[in-house]
Amino acid sequence: MTDTFVDLDVRPTLRAGGEPFQQIMETVTALAPGQGLRLLATFRPVPLFSVLGAKGFSYEAKELDGGDWEVVFRPAQAASTAESASAAPADDTTSWPEPVQQLDNRDLDPPEPMVRILAATEAMQAGDVLCALLCREPVFLLPELAKRGHAWRGDFEPDGKTYRILVRIGAAGRAAA
Amino acid sequence: MVGVSLSRWTMSYFAAALVALLVAEFLMTIGYGFPAAAQAAPETLILVHIVAIGWLSLLMCGALLQFVPVLVVQPLHSDRLALPALGSLIAGLAALIIGFLQLAGHVDRDIPAFALAGVLLGSGFALVVWNLGRTVVAAQTIPLASRFVVAGLACMAATAGLGIIFALVFGGTVTYRPLAVLTGAGLPVHVVAGLGGWLSFTAMGVSYRLLAMFMLAPELEGRTTKGCLYLGVAALVLAIGGGVLTILFDQDPEFVLLAAAAVGLMALMLYGGDVLHLYRARKRRHIELNSRMAALALASLAASVALIIVLLPLGRLTDHIGAVVFLIAFGWLSGLGLAQLYKIVAFLTWLECYGPVLGKAPTPRVQDLVTEARALKWFVLYFLAVWTGTIALLASAALVFQITAAAMLIASGGIVAELVRTRRLADVKAVSRLPLGVQRPRLLLSYHA
Repeated sequence: MTDTFVDLDVRPTLRAGGEPFQQIMETVTALAPGQGLRLLATFRPVPLFSVLGAKGFSYEAKELDGGDWEVVFRPAQAASTAESASAAPADDTTSWPEPVQQLDNRDLDPPEPMVRILAATEAMQAGDVLCALLCREPVFLLPELAKRGHAWRGDFEPDGKTYRILVRIGAAGRAAA
Repeated sequence: MVGVSLSRWTMSYFAAALVALLVAEFLMTIGYGFPAAAQAAPETLILVHIVAIGWLSLLMCGALLQFVPVLVVQPLHSDRLALPALGSLIAGLAALIIGFLQLAGHVDRDIPAFALAGVLLGSGFALVVWNLGRTVVAAQTIPLASRFVVAGLACMAATAGLGIIFALVFGGTVTYRPLAVLTGAGLPVHVVAGLGGWLSFTAMGVSYRLLAMFMLAPELEGRTTKGCLYLGVAALVLAIGGGVLTILFDQDPEFVLLAAAAVGLMALMLYGGDVLHLYRARKRRHIELNSRMAALALASLAASVALIIVLLPLGRLTDHIGAVVFLIAFGWLSGLGLAQLYKIVAFLTWLECYGPVLGKAPTPRVQDLVTEARALKWFVLYFLAVWTGTIALLASAALVFQITAAAMLIASGGIVAELVRTRRLADVKAVSRLPLGVQRPRLLLSYHA
């Protein structure tokens, strides 16, 4: 089902001491449905496997001459990624621990829901999960979570009115480390 | 999908738009253009286009560059295209003004100003439509509000297309007969497409979402909203498509425009019902200044419609079309624009400055960036001046109109000063203004933090 791959070489960024995580996530976001990612890195980026796994990608990693790694990420179910890029596959939520904190932000004036979620994440431990209910997709929150290295999964509940987001502290940051 | 970031050039669009508003109000104050000059005089056309393109279209384009991505939950297709589009639109407006000055005989340089205006405005609007269109096409969900925007953008293309034809015919670049016929009789269609389709229909779509968002009211996606969309689109297709075809067949477009007005009226009644429902069903009891002032803009829209309904059977609509257009442009569109700018500038500035440190350091709230009590008087003065100005136009009292225009200029200046203070964080307490890691925002563009 995978037609093409987008190539991303983060080795120059890593060698310069840089942080390629955002670059990787932006590339993944820009992938067309059915498209995969071919990543070149200076090490085997193990944590990235789970982050992109949560987004529905399978991977194959092979070591290149000189100790660098080439990892090919394929959209495992091209249909599910095409259907909703913001929704993690439902069966996938089991791999995250139970939320240690719940927030119901549905009746708060914008941007208070975002303020409370970010304040809560700052007080939590790495690996903890926060669950928050919102009344719309938090479009301005998501880039901020990515910047802070947190992983997230979110989608509308079946009623179409409540948006439920799970945030896992530092999960994306560890992926890039 | 990693959400939506700040549109880099939206503040530049807003700044250029506000300058155009102040210039237009200054020109009205000194008696330039209608009502001192005729409705079709080059001076009036200059004034009208400074308002329609310089103020309202730049305001709408700047807002849509930020708002369309939020509506469809899809990053803007290109942040880079926004700046050349802005440059092209401003240069195009300047060329158009020079073209009108040539018509009036005030500029006798032999430069192809109208042709230049056509090319520049055409490419500017095309870049905006392309950028927003690609964003919508890439989106996975197209909520109802964004369908209004898509229809509005189509009307923008129609308005610009007709305007370019007029400019090429006026400038003598084109002599093809059907286009000359269209130029002779197509003005009402151009006005309806611009004010009704592009500016009003887009504003209606945007207002559905903004009012629901800021008042914590349920999103409307039901039958009345769909009815408003479909009837509105039908009215616009009838007015623009039908109007152009009738003119090309050498017929008077009056009947088609009346039929379109009847359908459009039904759409507006559904919209009015929806808006009342949003205000009534809101969970937030105390609403902020932008939502309160938006109500005055919506009342101005209702008053414009009422004025048309009263004047039409009396056969006086043509005589008083200036007053009606004035109330639509300044009461409804500018009123709504200024009211929502007051909130949007504060919110975007807050997000740009404090988003990166939220939860890490004490930060001000969005409402700490504004002082509503101080801004309220400017808004009240603005709306009172617009309403008095409309009455002055109906009564053909040119001097009174100039005085009300001066009041509008002062009020708008006051609102602009408030916006600049917001952007400069001037109303934020010094202790919390710049926590570690926060940079003072630039006035005219937003960082991608």
